[in-house]
Amino acid sequence: MNTRRRFIGMSLSVGLLPLTRTHASEEEAQLAVEKIVGKAFVKSNRVKLDIPPLVENGNLVPMTVAVDSPMTANDFVKAIHIVAEGNPLPNIISFYLRARSGRATVQSRIRLSNSQRVLAIAEMSDGSFHQGFANTLVTLSACTEV
Amino acid sequence: MSLAIRSTLRLWLLGLAVLLSWPACAQQAKDSRQSSYELMTPEIQAMQANPDSNPAAFWLLDGQALWSEQHGSERKSCASCHGDAAKTMKGVAASFPKLQRGRLTSLEEQVNQCRTTHLELPSVSHESKTSLALTTYIAAQSKGMPIQVEATPAAMTQVETGRLMFEQRMGQLNLSCAQCHDQRAGLKLGGSSIPQAHPTGYPIYRLEWQSMGSLERRLRNCMIGVRAEPFAFDSTEIKQLEAFLMWRARGMLIETPGVRP
Amino acid sequence: MSKTSRSLVTMPSQAKQGDIIDIKVIVQHDMESGFRRDEQGSIIPRDILRGFLCTYNGTEVFRADLHPGTGANPMIVFSTVATETGTFEFTWTGDNDYLAKTTSQLTVT
Repeated sequence: MNTRRRFIGMSLSVGLLPLTRTHASEEEAQLAVEKIVGKAFVKSNRVKLDIPPLVENGNLVPMTVAVDSPMTANDFVKAIHIVAEGNPLPNIISFYLRARSGRATVQSRIRLSNSQRVLAIAEMSDGSFHQGFANTLVTLSACTEV
Repeated sequence: MSLAIRSTLRLWLLGLAVLLSWPACAQQAKDSRQSSYELMTPEIQAMQANPDSNPAAFWLLDGQALWSEQHGSERKSCASCHGDAAKTMKGVAASFPKLQRGRLTSLEEQVNQCRTTHLELPSVSHESKTSLALTTYIAAQSKGMPIQVEATPAAMTQVETGRLMFEQRMGQLNLSCAQCHDQRAGLKLGGSSIPQAHPTGYPIYRLEWQSMGSLERRLRNCMIGVRAEPFAFDSTEIKQLEAFLMWRARGMLIETPGVRP
Repeated sequence: MSKTSRSLVTMPSQAKQGDIIDIKVIVQHDMESGFRRDEQGSIIPRDILRGFLCTYNGTEVFRADLHPGTGANPMIVFSTVATETGTFEFTWTGDNDYLAKTTSQLTVT
């Protein structure tokens, strides 16, 4: 009786495991950010992340990130990291710039698995970090193959 | 009032009536049809409109390369018979599917017929890279041209059969195409706007598929969406439905390659 | 033998010295995320592009690290200052020995 209950219990709990991950846990997203910034304090200005507030399909979402920076030899953006808090893998894409980039503006197209907040973390030449974010609602396309 | 004055007055009143009703007449004649391009977000519209952002660019280039590829014992290519596609394929995709020797034929089937008959190549399947590259390349040559459906009695029989399917409830959800795409076009289904469903952009790069795909693939998705057994690729039914959709969209401009969510 | 596919670049062919030029690159790649399942239910193995590099007369001017969250047929728009006439080289690298290179010329007056 005990063995049977345990077996049923174990089967049920296995059955309830999600078959595919669609979410990072909050910790994983936090860890991804920490790996980028270490223990540094992240300032929340100078970085503007543009993602459409309503996304028709999360497979290809146009994104623009612009960092307010003079882009001179002494003051430029070294890197911009995009982190999606709600994706199964939070690291999305990283861009590495130089002072000679002229402008700290980059565009790309990313995948978003759910409605979520997306972060853009800019690493400056002086070692400081700035962050911007965008909230977006991701919807599913109508009438698909599944 | 004299006869002359009354006649003149009647003429003036008639003129006034015509003048006042003129805008209404003009509005009735205005085409209320619109491409689903108009319903997309500006970002996705930009993806379609910019040739160097449109992912379909790769299929266009593949199609262009395939057009000149030589095959068979006589080393022929599409170009051997059809020359410069930009000239000879103008308007071609805008008139498919069409009756060829009594058989309703899709563009995909026409491409296969040409390649198997003249280039000694095997058939390619409906959503294969080769089929999509060639149909995208050919259909792109019709960009900006109006959809034209021949109105012969035989062709219209196919169109009318397609219309019956369009208006027929189907699937576990028991919905017809018309209920969403005629009666509820412009309203929302979840987060998506319901389009009028005109096939102006095919083959399309569908974000959902992360690839190019044909109208037939999209129609099968619709049928799966209402939980109906989808028509098979290359089946008579699916081509008749295509024929009706093209007739329904006659005169609208081809915008291939389209990008859709 | 490396895998490759079409990669395209859109940038001006001429610029004045000191101008900031915009460069758009796009490459044909499914970016198989490793999260999708086939019709039998098995996971389709991850196969993505991992890196993009742009050099200007041999010097790195821009680089990107790609992950499964990067969209299929990746596109990046970035900028650089036109300093001298020369050759831009664009390299995409990825899983399963993927390697695609394109070049472009810039005349700087």
